[in-house]
Amino acid sequence: MKKHLKVILLIISITFLQITPSYTNEDVSKSGISYDEIYDPIEPINRAVLNFNFFIDDIAIKPIVKTYKFIAPDPVEKGVSNFFSNLKEPIRTVSFIFQGEFYKSFNSIGRFTLNTLTSLGTFDLASRVGMEKNETDFGITLAKGGVSSGPYIVLPIIGPSNLRDFSGDVVEYFVDPLSNNVPNREYIDIGSGLNERVEIDEQLDKVRDASSDRYEMIKSIYYQNRNAQLEEEYIQNLPVPKIYIE
Amino acid sequence: MKNFIILLTIIFSFSTLEASEVSEWFEKESNQFLEIINNNQGTESENYEKYKHFVNKNFAVKSIAYGLIGESIVNKSSKNELSAYLNVFTDYLITTIYKLANSNTSSSITLKDVDVKDDIYIIKSEISDKKSSANLYWKVIRTGSSFKIIDVIVENTSYFVTKKSEFNKILRKNRGSLEALIKEIKKI
Repeated sequence: MKKHLKVILLIISITFLQITPSYTNEDVSKSGISYDEIYDPIEPINRAVLNFNFFIDDIAIKPIVKTYKFIAPDPVEKGVSNFFSNLKEPIRTVSFIFQGEFYKSFNSIGRFTLNTLTSLGTFDLASRVGMEKNETDFGITLAKGGVSSGPYIVLPIIGPSNLRDFSGDVVEYFVDPLSNNVPNREYIDIGSGLNERVEIDEQLDKVRDASSDRYEMIKSIYYQNRNAQLEEEYIQNLPVPKIYIE
Repeated sequence: MKNFIILLTIIFSFSTLEASEVSEWFEKESNQFLEIINNNQGTESENYEKYKHFVNKNFAVKSIAYGLIGESIVNKSSKNELSAYLNVFTDYLITTIYKLANSNTSSSITLKDVDVKDDIYIIKSEISDKKSSANLYWKVIRTGSSFKIIDVIVENTSYFVTKKSEFNKILRKNRGSLEALIKEIKKI
C-alpha cells in the first residue's frame, strides 16, 4: 500500500507540474527567469498560512531558538549545524546520481564517511581537505529534469516552497537511505527543522520589519535562492536596472 | 598571427586596467563604509548624514529607483511625481543601509574577484565578522571617472530583484499609481 501511495504521489505531482506555468510576465532576466510575477494562484491561502507560521513562530519556535542561541556557545551551534547537514549527505548522494553528477555524488558519500568517522559529523573535516559541500535535493533533481516549478505554496510550519520542490521533499522522505533506517526518525526531522530555523534566525528578524509586504519579500528570496542552485551564471544573469543619467 | 597576438594583448591589458581601477575604487569605498559603521559615536542625525553622503556618492539611486518601477510608469508619470518618488526612495535606501549597518558588529569586507559583463562590473567580496561570513556581490557601472553601485547581492538575494517584486505588487494593487507607492514606502 505504501509503495502504491509513493507512485501515485509521484505521478500526480509530475503530471500537475508539467502543465502549470512557473512564471507569467513580460519582464524577464537574460536567463529567461522572471521574478516579478511568480505563478501564485492560491495567494490568499498562502498569505493566511504565512501569517499562521509567523504566529506559531512567535509563540513557540522563536523563544526556543533565541534561548538556544543564547545558551549554546558558537562552536556548539556550529557543531549541531554540521551534524544535521552531514545527515543529509546520503540523500544528496542519491540526488546527484539522478542528476548524472557522479563526481559530486562520490564527493557527498566521501564527505559523509569522513565526517561521520572522525566526529560523528559535528566537524566538517572534509571541507578542510578539499571536499567542499555541494547543496542539492530532489526538487533540484526534478528541475534539472525539465520539470517546471508549478505554483508557489506556503506550507504550514515548514514555510515557502512550490509544487515541484514539495514533491521533491515527499520523494526524499520515502527514499532517504539514512532516515529510513534509523529508529525515531521524527526526532531527527524535528531537530533538523529547528536547526534550519536557527540558521535563518537573523535574516528572519530583518525580514519581519524591513518590508512593506513580507509575503512578497519571502517569495522573491525563496525563488532567488532556488534559482541560484539551478543556474550556472546566476549572479551575472540577474536582472539589472536600465541606466539613467544620475 | 602577430597582429592578432598584439590585439589580444591590448584587449587583455585594457580589461586588466579597468578591473584594477574598479578594484581600487571598491577598496577605498568599502573601507570608508566600514569606518562609518565603526565610528558611530556622533548623534543619530550626524551618523545618518554620513550614510546619506555615502549613498549619494556611491549608489546609482536614480537608475535603481526608476528600474524598480519600470519604464512604463516612468514614462507616464509627471516630473513632479518622479521627483517626489526619487526623494522618498533615496531616504528609504539610506534608512535601509543605516539600519542594516547599525544591526551589524564591526565586520571586514574582502575583495575576492572582479568580473565584467555587458559593461557592468560584478565585484565579488566577502563580509565577515568573528562569527560568520557571507558572499557579497556588487554590480557596478562606470560613471565618468568613478563608479556607482546598481545592485547589491547578499549570498544569492539581490536587493534590486527583491524590491522590484515588492514595488510591482504595490503598483499592481493600485493600478500603477506612483502616489500609492510613495505612501507605502513612507509607511515602512
